[in-house]
Amino acid sequence: MSGGVYGGDEVGALVFDYGSFSIRSGYAGEDNPKSEVPTAVGMMDVADAEKMETEDGPVASQSKYYIDTNSIRVARNDMEMTSCLKEGMVENWDLFEQMLDYVYKRHLRSESNMHPVLMSEPAWNSKGKREKLTELMFEKYNVPAFFLCKNAVLSAFANGRSTGLVLDSGATHTTAVPVYDGYVLSQAIVKSPLAGDYISMECKKQMDEQNIEIVPPYMIGSKEAVGEGEPAKWTKRDKLPEVTKSFHNYMVKDVMQDFAASVLQVSDAPYDESPIDSMPTVHYEMPNGYNIDFGSERFKICEGLFDPSVIKEAQGNSMLGTGHVVTTSVGMCDIDIRPSLYSSVITVGGNTMLQGYIDRLTRDLSTKTPPSMRLKVLASATTAERRFSSWIGGSILASLGSFQQMWISKQEYEESGKVCVERKCP
Amino acid sequence: MEAGGGSDIRDILDINNEPTPMTKENLLRSKKPLKKADGIQFKRPEGMHRELWGLIWTDNKDAPPIIPTDTNQGYKQMKAKIGRSRVRPWKWMSFTVPSRKDGAIFHHWRRIADEGKDYPFARFNKSVDVPTYSDAEYQQHLHDDSWSRAETDHLFEMAKRFDLRFIVMYDRWNKDKFPNRSVEDLKERYYHIQNTLVKARAPVGTDPKVRVYDGDHERRRKDQLNKLFIRTTEQVEEEQMLVAELKKIELRKKEREKKTQDLQKLITAADTNAESRRIERKTTKKKILPQTKNLIGNINPDTTGIKFPDFKTSGVTLRSQRMKLPGSVGQKKTKAIEQVLEEIGLEFNPIPTEEIVTSFNELRQDIVLLYELKLALANCEYELQTLRHQFETLAPGKLESLNLGSILIPSTIGASSITTTPEKQESQGEDVPIKTEKKFSETIDVVSTPTTPNKKRRAALEQSNILKKIKGIKS
Repeated sequence: MSGGVYGGDEVGALVFDYGSFSIRSGYAGEDNPKSEVPTAVGMMDVADAEKMETEDGPVASQSKYYIDTNSIRVARNDMEMTSCLKEGMVENWDLFEQMLDYVYKRHLRSESNMHPVLMSEPAWNSKGKREKLTELMFEKYNVPAFFLCKNAVLSAFANGRSTGLVLDSGATHTTAVPVYDGYVLSQAIVKSPLAGDYISMECKKQMDEQNIEIVPPYMIGSKEAVGEGEPAKWTKRDKLPEVTKSFHNYMVKDVMQDFAASVLQVSDAPYDESPIDSMPTVHYEMPNGYNIDFGSERFKICEGLFDPSVIKEAQGNSMLGTGHVVTTSVGMCDIDIRPSLYSSVITVGGNTMLQGYIDRLTRDLSTKTPPSMRLKVLASATTAERRFSSWIGGSILASLGSFQQMWISKQEYEESGKVCVERKCP
Repeated sequence: MEAGGGSDIRDILDINNEPTPMTKENLLRSKKPLKKADGIQFKRPEGMHRELWGLIWTDNKDAPPIIPTDTNQGYKQMKAKIGRSRVRPWKWMSFTVPSRKDGAIFHHWRRIADEGKDYPFARFNKSVDVPTYSDAEYQQHLHDDSWSRAETDHLFEMAKRFDLRFIVMYDRWNKDKFPNRSVEDLKERYYHIQNTLVKARAPVGTDPKVRVYDGDHERRRKDQLNKLFIRTTEQVEEEQMLVAELKKIELRKKEREKKTQDLQKLITAADTNAESRRIERKTTKKKILPQTKNLIGNINPDTTGIKFPDFKTSGVTLRSQRMKLPGSVGQKKTKAIEQVLEEIGLEFNPIPTEEIVTSFNELRQDIVLLYELKLALANCEYELQTLRHQFETLAPGKLESLNLGSILIPSTIGASSITTTPEKQESQGEDVPIKTEKKFSETIDVVSTPTTPNKKRRAALEQSNILKKIKGIKS
């Protein structure tokens, strides 16, 4: 290194960032992850499946796993969709290991014992899971050094802050995590289940209401172009395997995700029928060729994110809208740091890419914050920066010269065992 | 070209016969001196300053251009000049971080020349100096009934771990094992211990530096901040509204005070006028006029009446000059004077004998005073009316029950009380027709402004009357 002390110091570290939607991985110092692998995995019991000699995708253990976008989308008999995570934390360690193996082998194509590893974790990760992960990395992957960092802290770093409130709206949940000087204030974390998956679910419900059948692409053999609103003309693929319900649901959700990304919009003000009706409609074509315009539904579906009272289910009222998640979290912090939290509300996560999300959030917050507080909502402009913010933060952190003293080295691990993670990684 | 290219390639490939240590300085120094373009020497052009020539003649060793050219010289260097020197190779090498105790070895890219040097980022590894204490010290100085030794140890371990970020320490405080403490409690205990240690360890005679921390003050401050924070929008708006109201009230109060002051002045002026008149009457019988002249100046020095200029020092003047109304008297007042004079049938410009001048001026002063009093009265009545209306709209029907009727001034009061005083007529002399019954304060109209067409016509009529009169006098 020669670029002076301003530049980083690259030690060839790897950065892993796992979320409920996907696992991101790549080399520290780069500006985007090398690979993004969906967290959802296809699983098949070995007893049922014949010994198939296929690509590297399926790896044999007690069960057969199908990992990565290409293999999970193939319709197979009795393939159940599952995930190694639960509430953002690793639950199925066997599967998690399989995925790491896969990423090392297929995407990073590197020896694990050559590269220090920085891994993100949810801010509410339990002590036991952290230790288990540390053990796994040192014992199985034999990494020279390891570090665990809260993903909220990394997101804040990616946005150039060490203090701020990180609002992460991902697939399974929306969380507000206060970060102070690079440390998460664990007492003030607020979680809400209103996030990407909720939106997909609402989309599905809306389709059911409108009697629109959602046919995922795997079922379609051929289709013809039809006029707007006309029934779809398509033929089913022949020899369609007997897929499981979880697989079909996953594929439907996939369609809904695309629908949400291209059609939905969050209204600027609390949902009101009359001004919304005058908004332009958006045309969308389903995979089977059926196409129609969407008007007020575009806005109605998202409204639950910000105003849970519109959700019809009974539990709806106990949930917190996005603006409320932020104010509740800040309200639990020390009064002295509240101004600095409000002055950098960092929004990250794929769900925040919904059109109008940031505007609505800013509006909601500005009505809820005291007038003396300076409010600033930070959001990166590009999709990648918002979706991969915690990975990018990890990439920055691991390539900093002054960070190199922070690693848990193999020597340290061997000396004090897995408990050292509590001490070294705050 | 070929020879140069060859050497470049050799440089890049690092094939070199003479293995000199490759440091930056070495490389820069060993650069071969460029071939000197000797031979052609240029002479300084005729008429060019020697200093200028001295600056530019070495530039290119070229003939100075006749027309200005845009070359990439000077500030406009288009390309960074790289590759002049030999390449300094990099190497993937191992290093240790000095601040690590474990001696872990990492690898990174580094210049071969820098091999073996200290890790440049080591100097950023700063940590806060957290004091430690021995058992004896704890026993002697630091014992506290509310804090156990274990808890104190926990506090100091946290302080070290989080570099005195008390907010994080509070967040990670072991609440299962120890009682729940506030941020202030932690700070208070920490700074107390630090100060005690500093004091205990300081050599006798020196004055140790202590950090002051007032936990109670901090708690109160945060309490206040919290109260400020939890206000609802309505409360904030209410407060702003109240502040605005308060300002309004204060403004009104000031206005009222000013008004009453003015009124008071008027009343005292009227009183003193009457008073002085009495004195004057006595004095005029005994002494002659110079004194009264002084008196006129002294009666109402500030607001009311007309201040006639003093002609003491200006040499010879016409006496009629003393009767001249000063320019400071407003049009309305002048009009009022004229109206009254007309009413009582006085000339506007009487013959200025000594006596008449004094009396005439006095009269006019009184008229102006009267005018002002009446104006004030009208104002007061108007205000009273508006207040009464306000009261009635706010609390309808309660007016009678409050017995406010007794406070209300009868509207005729102004007219009935003020009449021409006998003194005036006396002092005016015999040529003034006496009209005691006439309440000429009625002739002064203060309430209505001369904007209405009716009023204007009247004013015009009056004016023509005045003109006629003046004409009549002249003819």
